[in-house]
Amino acid sequence: MNIDHIDVIQALIDGILYGSTYALLGLGFTLIFGAMHKLNIAYAASSIAGAYVGLASISVMAIPPILVFFIGPLSAGAIGLVIYFACFRYMPTGNQLAPLMASIGALFFVDEIIIHETSGSPLSFPALLPDSYFFLGQFGIRGDLVMVMFFSFVLMGIVMFLLYRTKLGLATRATSQQSVAALLCGIPTHRTNATTFVLAGILGGFAGCLIAAAVGVLSPLITLPLTIKGLIVTVIGGLGSIRGAIIAGFLIGSFENIFLLVRGVNERDIYVFLLLFVFLVFRPNGLFGTAIDRD
Amino acid sequence: MDYNLKSIATCVATVAIMAAGAASAESVINIAGWGAQSGPLRSFGVNSNAVIQAAVKRVNEEGGIRLADGTMATLAYEYHDSACNAEQAIAVARRVASSDVLVGIGPTCSGAAAAMFGVFQKQVDDASDTGLQLPILTDTAVRNGLAKISQWTFRNTPNEPAMYDNLWEWIATNQPDLKTIYGGTETDQGHSNGTYSKVIVQAAIRHGFTWAPGDLEGLTGDIASGFEAVLDSSANWLQADTNFAVQARAFRKSGADVLIVSSHPFTTCGMLKEMSRQRIEPGLIVGLTSSSSAEVMKGCPDEAEGMIIPTSFAPITDAAAEVAALANENGGDADLHSAAAWENVMIIKQVIEAVGITGDASMVAQERRAIRDGLEALTETEGLLGTITRNQAEGEALKPYVFVQAQAGGWVVVHDPR
Amino acid sequence: MLYFLGIFQTIGVHTLLGLSAYVLLLTGQLSLGQVGFFAIGAYVSGILTVLFSWHIFAALAVGALVAGFFAFLIGFPALRVKGLMLVVATIAFSEIVRLFFFNLSWRVEVNGFDVGPDSTQGFREIRYFAANGWEQTHVVALIWSFVILVMFLLWWLDRVRAGAVLRAVGEDDLAAQSSGVNLTMVKVAAMTAGGVIAGIGGGLFAHSTTYVDHHTFTILLATFAVSYPILGGHKNVFGTLLAVIFIQGFVIEGLRFMGDYRNIVFGLLIILAMNLRPQGLVDGHFISDIKKKLGGKPKKDSADA
Repeated sequence: MNIDHIDVIQALIDGILYGSTYALLGLGFTLIFGAMHKLNIAYAASSIAGAYVGLASISVMAIPPILVFFIGPLSAGAIGLVIYFACFRYMPTGNQLAPLMASIGALFFVDEIIIHETSGSPLSFPALLPDSYFFLGQFGIRGDLVMVMFFSFVLMGIVMFLLYRTKLGLATRATSQQSVAALLCGIPTHRTNATTFVLAGILGGFAGCLIAAAVGVLSPLITLPLTIKGLIVTVIGGLGSIRGAIIAGFLIGSFENIFLLVRGVNERDIYVFLLLFVFLVFRPNGLFGTAIDRD
Repeated sequence: MDYNLKSIATCVATVAIMAAGAASAESVINIAGWGAQSGPLRSFGVNSNAVIQAAVKRVNEEGGIRLADGTMATLAYEYHDSACNAEQAIAVARRVASSDVLVGIGPTCSGAAAAMFGVFQKQVDDASDTGLQLPILTDTAVRNGLAKISQWTFRNTPNEPAMYDNLWEWIATNQPDLKTIYGGTETDQGHSNGTYSKVIVQAAIRHGFTWAPGDLEGLTGDIASGFEAVLDSSANWLQADTNFAVQARAFRKSGADVLIVSSHPFTTCGMLKEMSRQRIEPGLIVGLTSSSSAEVMKGCPDEAEGMIIPTSFAPITDAAAEVAALANENGGDADLHSAAAWENVMIIKQVIEAVGITGDASMVAQERRAIRDGLEALTETEGLLGTITRNQAEGEALKPYVFVQAQAGGWVVVHDPR
Repeated sequence: MLYFLGIFQTIGVHTLLGLSAYVLLLTGQLSLGQVGFFAIGAYVSGILTVLFSWHIFAALAVGALVAGFFAFLIGFPALRVKGLMLVVATIAFSEIVRLFFFNLSWRVEVNGFDVGPDSTQGFREIRYFAANGWEQTHVVALIWSFVILVMFLLWWLDRVRAGAVLRAVGEDDLAAQSSGVNLTMVKVAAMTAGGVIAGIGGGLFAHSTTYVDHHTFTILLATFAVSYPILGGHKNVFGTLLAVIFIQGFVIEGLRFMGDYRNIVFGLLIILAMNLRPQGLVDGHFISDIKKKLGGKPKKDSADA
């Protein structure tokens, strides 16, 4: 198949638009990591789980499908809280491995609950904006993804506002930088961390719903690939960097789409991982990360 | 490992009780099934288990299985979860082979089957080969050429070369205005990929269709001819992909009359939804046989509308409709994969009665061998859709099939070549 | 009996996989890349026995060396990053390895049959053991001699200066560096050793399951690899073995009676175990407790067998 410049630009547009879903996931990962310097592997899975709860509630109850975008994030926030208590709250400070391992357990648990309830069968998910495909000149654009992109900027704004303009944000940042000192200053570090998990969970649930709506189908198959994508976005964006996560999401989305077009699907992901290596070697702190020497 | 010691003890006790039971009152013939009951392919195991359960119940309701001495034995079965994992499938096979089970049905996934069949003895009577010796009759794993890995393994799975050959012939006859084809597959899934690049496209070429982007080198219409060129020229994706924009555009650009979407339900739905977003409306969409299941109807009933798939199961005969109902009662679905499990149980009953089995626990090895030979001797079996002929050089089945089309949220039979 | 011999094989192979991650954990490096070396060992040794009819020992050795060589190469760039960055970098490495084998098609005719890696269709019939008349007991003996050898070497390492150096780097690499430890050498050596151990494990895995494809070596198996030493505790080499027995022997095979709910319980048990024993099942106290109970004589094996 001949590839012309129209195809390349179109693939770029598709990729950047779709990358906004990665950006949302990366935002959540980076929030948790920024706050606790700990990795929650179960994050993408609980985001998807939130989408499932939302889907289940609209199919069981007779409520408008749009409510899935409210119920999903709220349930993912609740799942985030449970995961915080099960995997992070009671672990000794300074032990990085135990909470990581526990969150791996949580990943398996959440995944298997979904699989058990759905038999692993794909389920149709309501579109954010049905029939929103439009043309800009000769380029086709998905209206629903433009909406997702819009949301990712709005959420970035909200998160930045929460972190830098509110008391909660001050507490979160203080806890993140020096949790013992923060505790001594009267900041309830555990409650701050719990709040961060709930916020990140809500964010993830929203991302999960938007991803499900963008694909149109929900399946437990996608939790692991999304976990990997989310981690890559977090690292390339720079650990703990909010705008880095957003930009890296668009970058990965467009990069993988270009290589899909040019080199085919079998090699696509190899280039994404190589891009990551390039960053690790030449820019180990990512796009916007500050130098982290001890972690 | 205390646990394992305990389980040995329990196992010994159970065997002792069973042996005592067999001696006194009623004999029991044990079979075992296994497949994915956990992991993303859980539906395979759930469906398969539901159907085997119904079939075993039916056999026992009709009096059980006739033994060599003319008495009737009850059929007992146990279903294990092998999670679509090679190590677990092998572990279950070894566990079953260590028990007094006479024949196994499983595993459900092709990858697990490829591994599991490898630990079986390749050729019977080859004393230098220490592989397992237990007859297996597989219901679901459909990837090309698996059963010939061992002479102990047989399959009752659809014959895709025959189904797709006939499908394209039928399309060519009924819709002569459709001339060109194009498509894609999930390349990291052995079955979808192999069937697409080696079977479906070649069958279309054989019946006069042309590859829309232009002729491909080596693609002649013979099975597997030019398959690498086919894959290079197609717009493919991976089995957990979520963004299909580039592929759908390639579909549109090809301008083909018939589009082939060769993948399992999740990405089939993802791709169909993207095609519908981009308002791509080909003359016809042809799907992979594995997608002719209830799952596509859960994932994308509207977008699948009009897609045609050949399948070895549809509830069109009384027997097939009954199995579908029984499977639902047991919490599963009868589809082209799981319905085969019903036929397998009936085939096993037929073979056991033909070769004459004592049911004596001390003769397990000989009786397994007799059942294997009996399975190999079969040239024809009765299936839910009619007579199944067997190609025993490869241990495979030639099952009757129909063409189904997605219409209004369900699968409707549009052609019945039987 | 066959069944238990099979489980022993699985436990042995996974112990090697876990030990390869254990070596790296000693130096404080959390790697999700061990499955990449495991895959290299599996494919290389499988190719050697199937395509070139090599003897299993030679094939395993070459598989381990190739895996070790790649680990050595990866060791240098991996030095630049730590913590989460290293986790993600090693995921990227193992995924690249997986995708390489996903694209690898190398079919050769041997004795009238086409054999070899066939990209997505997988690499079938790595039947060296069964085809050469090996009984299950022989396979178990082979796998466990490697397990015992590697465990002994690692146990011994912990008792000599080199082990102290590894742990020093793991506890605080700046402090270790100031005491004159060559960080590059230590970390690359640990990475290489981990690669060799994973390579042997991979070769044994391929031959005991007879089939590998790229789905075998996903991030899921990588998580298992690090799970063993974390769950078992990286204070002691027996922790990894105990964790493998716990996961493969008890949770996966032992809980079969739970049917449908087995896999759900799996995740819960891991969460529970980490909350109860955040330092791992076998931490410092565990060893001394056992010693006390047995009157000063550490006899771990009685608990394991």
